[in-house]
Amino acid sequence: MSTQRQGKGEAQDTHGFLGEEFLTWLWFRWETTGGEFRLPGGRVVGLALDDFLLFAAPSEDETEQTLRRGLPTRTAEARTALRSGRRLKKARLLLAEGSRQWSATLDGASLTLLGVKLPEDSEEVESDQDRTTERAANWLALHELVQALYGQFLRERLRPDYLERVAAEQAQWMAG
Amino acid sequence: MAAAIRKSGGIVAFHWQGKLQDPATQGFAEALAQRRFRTIENAASEEISVGGVTKADPTGDTFALEDLDGGAGTWLRVRLDKKTLPKKWLQIHRDAAEKSRGKKLSARERRELKDDLTEKLLPRVLPAVNLVDALLFFDRRLILLFATSRSVVEAFGKLFFETFSLPLERQNPRLAGLQLKLGAEAERSLDRLEPVRWPRGEDGDGRPRSVPKPVRATALDDEEDGDEAVGDDADRRRNKTADGDDTPPWQEQDA
Repeated sequence: MSTQRQGKGEAQDTHGFLGEEFLTWLWFRWETTGGEFRLPGGRVVGLALDDFLLFAAPSEDETEQTLRRGLPTRTAEARTALRSGRRLKKARLLLAEGSRQWSATLDGASLTLLGVKLPEDSEEVESDQDRTTERAANWLALHELVQALYGQFLRERLRPDYLERVAAEQAQWMAG
Repeated sequence: MAAAIRKSGGIVAFHWQGKLQDPATQGFAEALAQRRFRTIENAASEEISVGGVTKADPTGDTFALEDLDGGAGTWLRVRLDKKTLPKKWLQIHRDAAEKSRGKKLSARERRELKDDLTEKLLPRVLPAVNLVDALLFFDRRLILLFATSRSVVEAFGKLFFETFSLPLERQNPRLAGLQLKLGAEAERSLDRLEPVRWPRGEDGDGRPRSVPKPVRATALDDEEDGDEAVGDDADRRRNKTADGDDTPPWQEQDA
């Protein structure tokens, strides 16, 4: 069944590497364009990387690297990891749309959201049913925001000239 | 028992293909009732029971449509009970037996002791209870499961298949790309994509390149456990221990 554990051979079919490239691209876009993403339908979402980064091991023989707390994206270790060509495997993200703000750790390879915190419940919400309605909408909105950002990345990634243009810019940023 | 849906934790997204009954219809609730939770409270052997319940009725006896109301989504709840002989009790009895004999028990004697204790103690042991929620968004063919541990994810997928005869596909970067409906050509390109190798330090000419896909274990292997949506904190604590292993529940049951 498709929900069952994926073996080594099947790992390729899920394109786990693409999720890790997506995370690294989010960081690149956040630092180079300010973290404001214009999504289809006129939606504008703000994004920032927060206090947790996990860099994937470049190969089976090398180690993963975790940076926690503070502003790990500004550390020398993070820059060194980027200069070494490492992709992000997981990162804690802050997402904001209008007055709503979410935080979540995104696992790139599976696109699973871990440790999510939804926006605070509205003050006017009183009953459990109303609270459920609002939270359900916020869960769905978070999923759709991440999907929309991933769509934006994928449209760039699938361009025939991706390596010459966007990836070349990103490589310069990573080396910087 | 009824409360609001959770506001934090981990989620796994699923999609399904094929025709699912409209959750607003009685037929949907009847399908859930067919795979309702069945108690193992009085079971005399180690067992696991997985079945559907609702936010208002953790026994699985009733499936009122209003209890499935999850705002924009349909609120599904799965109950996973697991009855096992507490390992510490087994150890206490083994230590006592070895002390009174003055020597270690043989493998056969240890097995006999375990069988004996299982028969005596299990009817008195209450199962660990785990309640896991999910939101089903019918129009989007999307389910958000509020759990990320492998055993719960697999148990949920199996129960959904048994209930609706539809396999669930777990979200991953490739599937998420296909969900975006980027067109046939883009989908073909997606399938052909290979990882980018970014320049490493001063090596090479500083240009990124495509490389063949690496064959390595998926990151699903090391997902965080213990992120389940459970009914209360006490259950959560119990289930962290109960779910400590990685064996899917139905495999344990079949063993």
